[in-house]
Amino acid sequence: MIEYPEIDRYASLDSPMHRFDPRAKIIAFLFLIFSIVLIPDLKIVFIGLFFAIFLLILSRIPIAFVLGHLKWVAMFVLSFFVILAFTFPGEEIAKFYFLSITAEGLYTGSLITIRAFSAVILIFPMIGTMRFDTTIKALESLKVPNSLVQMLMFTYRYIFVFADEFQRVWTAMGARGFKLRTSLYALRTIGKAMGMLFVRSYERAERVYRAMRSRGYTGNPKTLVEFDIRRRDYILAASIIGFAVSLHIISFIGVV
Amino acid sequence: MREAITVRNLSYAYPDGTGALEDVNMSVYEGERVAIVGPNGAGKTTFLLHLNGILRGSDGQVEVFGKSMAKVKRGEIIKEVGIVFQDPDDQLFMPTLFDDLAFGPINLGLKEEEVRERVKNALLTLGLSGYEHRCPHHLSYGEKKKASLAAVMSMEPRILVLDEPTANLDPRSRAELIGIIKELNEREGITIVIATHDVNAIPELVDRVYVLNKTVITEGTPQKIFSDVELLKENNLEVPEVFKLFEVLRCFGYNCEELPLSIEEAVEHLTRTVGINDGHFHLHIHEHTHDEVRKLRSKYEHH
Repeated sequence: MIEYPEIDRYASLDSPMHRFDPRAKIIAFLFLIFSIVLIPDLKIVFIGLFFAIFLLILSRIPIAFVLGHLKWVAMFVLSFFVILAFTFPGEEIAKFYFLSITAEGLYTGSLITIRAFSAVILIFPMIGTMRFDTTIKALESLKVPNSLVQMLMFTYRYIFVFADEFQRVWTAMGARGFKLRTSLYALRTIGKAMGMLFVRSYERAERVYRAMRSRGYTGNPKTLVEFDIRRRDYILAASIIGFAVSLHIISFIGVV
Repeated sequence: MREAITVRNLSYAYPDGTGALEDVNMSVYEGERVAIVGPNGAGKTTFLLHLNGILRGSDGQVEVFGKSMAKVKRGEIIKEVGIVFQDPDDQLFMPTLFDDLAFGPINLGLKEEEVRERVKNALLTLGLSGYEHRCPHHLSYGEKKKASLAAVMSMEPRILVLDEPTANLDPRSRAELIGIIKELNEREGITIVIATHDVNAIPELVDRVYVLNKTVITEGTPQKIFSDVELLKENNLEVPEVFKLFEVLRCFGYNCEELPLSIEEAVEHLTRTVGINDGHFHLHIHEHTHDEVRKLRSKYEHH
């Protein structure tokens, strides 16, 4: 079976992050993410990383679940690390044949790696602590452009339908003896199957659009939301944003 | 009786030029239950799309409660006619059931309390209370089917159009859905139009049947339609099993003019026959019985 992309699998847990008002949470976390990503100092970025891990632990999302997602990010980011370490100009600290590692390269590579990990880790306490439909509604009430909200909404709804559809095609291919090999024939077959999936999605899109129009869709669907922002949420958001700002103040005056 | 839907000389061709509908005429009266039957590709779905203005005929071709669809605003039409499409994954497009049920009422421009009230009522009618915050992909097929009906019922239409409501359902969900549709008609007076292949549901579910194969072939009570063997053969249609059984009984000498179409009618018929004949009835085998049974079999072979 293919796995559903369920980022919100642990949305039903209870933690300070789960109780955080969705809108305040999105604003505070986005602020923190951007602030960490923009810090030029490696030591301070580490502080950011620890804070991100702290918030993750606070959210009670199982670490194994996060690590499972992080491995994909790691593959991507570590390749940057390696390339930067070998190519960045600067003081040479080691040499393999014609390739050399520079101190500046290692520094920049680590900086980018740690920034990326902090940002990705922060995604979990941010959107992993509420159901994805809540996230969408929060974005809608934060006045994110409606067409963007709709895109998210339909992606979220139909990604599961397409996953099932793909699974059915895959099973049907297997049932008639298809095995995945690295042959031109196998690739061509997969290409055709994918093509059929695209055609089917196109047809489904047409049917969905009809169903929407038959219930009065005019281009700007609205949903009803009940968010209740309390003082606790303001305090929490203010402290996260305060932390984000202080990282930059420290970095600016160079205390550490 | 007032006409709920009037269709006059409606034709439709797909963009590539193939004709889908030719000169269709139909009248559905207020509070009536009507089935549209016909072979695959007969244009049933295309026809249904005309009933709430997704496809529009020219002036006067399709009228709902006397108002021409070509002239009326979309908002007016969707208030009167709700369509439940065949595939619930097409029908349920919002992230949660609540949002989906609220989608129509919000588009009708209702106030928030009114929207919430309607969502609650629709969930109650379909027996889905407590499902508000479920996502469609976590529902079973039967639940999805009921949810798509609820999503249309929350708009409180006076005419309900259903495309294959009983297809692919397990017996229990099927019976449940048939019960709900009948109840909506009997209790709230909602006019029902159903496109279906489910012949066993027809006698129970509708008063009148239209046979559609690009154009309206004929129209009448289920009894009339199912008695016309040539018509059925030409349009790849079937008759209910109970009907066939009583035809077999007739070969064995059971006396009946009008063949029952459903279990209820069969019970009624048997009770009556037994009552007339002092508590029992007779079956027998003559030399022509076997011939008649053979003829009967070949009659229903679709070749």
